[in-house]
Amino acid sequence: MTTPILEIRNLHARIEDREILKGVNLTIPAGEVHAVMGRNGSGKSTLSYVLAGKEDYEITEGEVLLDGQDLLAMEPFERASAGLFLAFQYPIEIPGVATMTFLKAAMNAQRKARGEGEMTTPDFMRAVKQAGTELNIDTEMLKRPLNVGFSGGEKKRAEVLQMALLQPKMCILDETDSGLDIDALQVVSKGVNALRSAGRSMLVITHYQRLLNHIVPDVVHVFSDGKIVESGDKDLALQLEAKGYADFDGAAA
Amino acid sequence: MPTSTARQPKMRQTMPVRLNAAEETLIAQLKAIGANAEAERITVAGLPTRRVESYHYTDLKMLLKAIPPQAAAANEASAPALRVAGAYQLMIANGVIQSASTAPAGVIVGKAEGGVLSTRDDVLVHLNGAFAKESLTLTLESSVDPVIQIDRRAEGAAAHVTDSVKVFVADNASAVIIETFSGSDAAHVGNHGTYMALGKNAVVTHITVDLSARAATHFASNEYHLADGAKLRTLVINAGAGLSRTQLFPRYEGAGAHGDITGLNLVSDGQHADITMDALHAVPGTTSQPLFKSIARGHGKAVVQGKLVVARDAQKTDAKFMHQGLMLSDEAEILSKPELEIYADDVVCGHGSTCGKLDEDSMFYLMSRGIPKEEAETMLVRGFLEELVDPIEDEALAEALHGIIDGWLLGGK
Ligand SMILES: Nc1ncnc2c1ncn2[C@@H]1O[C@H](COP(=O)(O)OP(=O)(O)OP(=O)(O)O)[C@@H](O)[C@H]1O
Ligand SMILES: [Mg+2]
Repeated sequence: MTTPILEIRNLHARIEDREILKGVNLTIPAGEVHAVMGRNGSGKSTLSYVLAGKEDYEITEGEVLLDGQDLLAMEPFERASAGLFLAFQYPIEIPGVATMTFLKAAMNAQRKARGEGEMTTPDFMRAVKQAGTELNIDTEMLKRPLNVGFSGGEKKRAEVLQMALLQPKMCILDETDSGLDIDALQVVSKGVNALRSAGRSMLVITHYQRLLNHIVPDVVHVFSDGKIVESGDKDLALQLEAKGYADFDGAAA
Repeated sequence: MPTSTARQPKMRQTMPVRLNAAEETLIAQLKAIGANAEAERITVAGLPTRRVESYHYTDLKMLLKAIPPQAAAANEASAPALRVAGAYQLMIANGVIQSASTAPAGVIVGKAEGGVLSTRDDVLVHLNGAFAKESLTLTLESSVDPVIQIDRRAEGAAAHVTDSVKVFVADNASAVIIETFSGSDAAHVGNHGTYMALGKNAVVTHITVDLSARAATHFASNEYHLADGAKLRTLVINAGAGLSRTQLFPRYEGAGAHGDITGLNLVSDGQHADITMDALHAVPGTTSQPLFKSIARGHGKAVVQGKLVVARDAQKTDAKFMHQGLMLSDEAEILSKPELEIYADDVVCGHGSTCGKLDEDSMFYLMSRGIPKEEAETMLVRGFLEELVDPIEDEALAEALHGIIDGWLLGGK
């Protein structure tokens, strides 16, 4: 059996005194795309932050392996170089840091961590230009400070651009579809699909079945009150859309 | 020649103040050059303490421990602290103006006796006037292409160095002037004066950078006079001396005059840096945008005081003082004091101040892309300062300034 890209075992996490993740179990084999759907506040973003290494959470139980390595023992920047990427639900605006400068710093930092040399500026520019064209991103936008003044949809596209440039093993997309217009949804989905490959896995968090028509998942999970309560194939998303969450988690809507 | 008049200070106390070593030395040095009125002033009032409003956070009596002997002519020179490619260089070492290469078109270089600053109720200004033997004068008759760099040094053994520079900028002329303060690694006390008069519609960028040794004390007072339509941008960087205070006295004296008065304190453990602005909007229709930033780490202490005075007729003045502090440690201190003194009624004036640490969400975002912690911090700090460096259009100059900031960031605690 080959090592799954991501393996989460009985993960519990709390913030201050409140337990938010209450025993998450999830295995994503190489090459698969898994979707996670669940009510607002059920803990989906918390799961993505805990995986990426945000400090605010205390992990009380469980373990996470990224390609067999102990993910929770790594610093956030080490997780990224090890191949984890989180497309944020709410990308952060950073005034004073030009997007291009940031992209170059991120790519070179990861290359350095893997023992590769720095990218030359022409190679970098070419890579950005190509990825930008595929995602309909005007390179003018990338001269602006990181995410500052980007529209909601532009921010999401910029997240996928970063993902395309960094070529992670494990992509977590937290509501990347929210805020996208119909055309942008197509463009972004195309960009994400282009990244699907045998060695790369994805965890796609969404509220809308529509996204899953574009990015067709191998497995759909229903997330409720800090854990996965149901898993199935892509039709599970259709059932959810038709019936709502109550049938799956027993709680009132 | 001392420029001050022998006005007796008002006796507020019945007992004379107890003088410390620095005050005793200053008095002796003043008497030695016949500046008896200045000597008397120090004897009676001493150096300012925190009870003096404009020195509230920079108690000179407490902070200034000793005054080294008066500087003798410098025999050697340390390496330049900052090189700006393509700049026209002038040097003053230990208060003595050094001969310079041929001036670029539009620049007349000269010398005058004594100091340059107008009299005002401030001890550093008084001392500069009393001790300055000669001043460098620059007359800019028309726009000057190369950046002008005035390299002001304190060399050799610890010395009390006083120097002064006067710049006249003709109507419609433009220039970029950078003054750097540096020298040997010794407990110098430098007192520097710069007087700058901008003619009508003149456009000037004036940058001053303190890169003195940590053992040194750096005092600078910059006085600016702006005629109609003149535009001034300043950038003060306090990044060297253990104790530094840069005083900015812009005076908006012609309609349409505008000042982007900016400054930056970079302080590490054991350093105390102060930028104090006292601006006068003297006539109707002048504007200014004072923007200061401070970054402090270790037990460093940064002070920014900003006073906006709007004269009775100076209607339609538009001025806002802003200070932003960034604390890189829990022990650092960043202090800010705005003051508005407004005698006109139809003005838009204000002040604002923020102080905080690096934003955690921003740090996490950068690190989540693989950027290590220290590099992420550096990026955010650079981002914080971009607003100050970005308006500097000359590329070599902007690069040199980035170099100073990066050097400080790499300099550790
Ligand atoms: N810093 C915090 N302090 C206290 N509670 C928090 C904090 N951050 C998140 N929570 C709580 O944790 C719960 C899970 O939040 P999370 O953002 O993970 O939900 P989600 O499933 O992503 O929701 P949505 O679909 O709305 O994005 C929510 O009830 C939220 O209020
Ligand atoms: Mg969420």
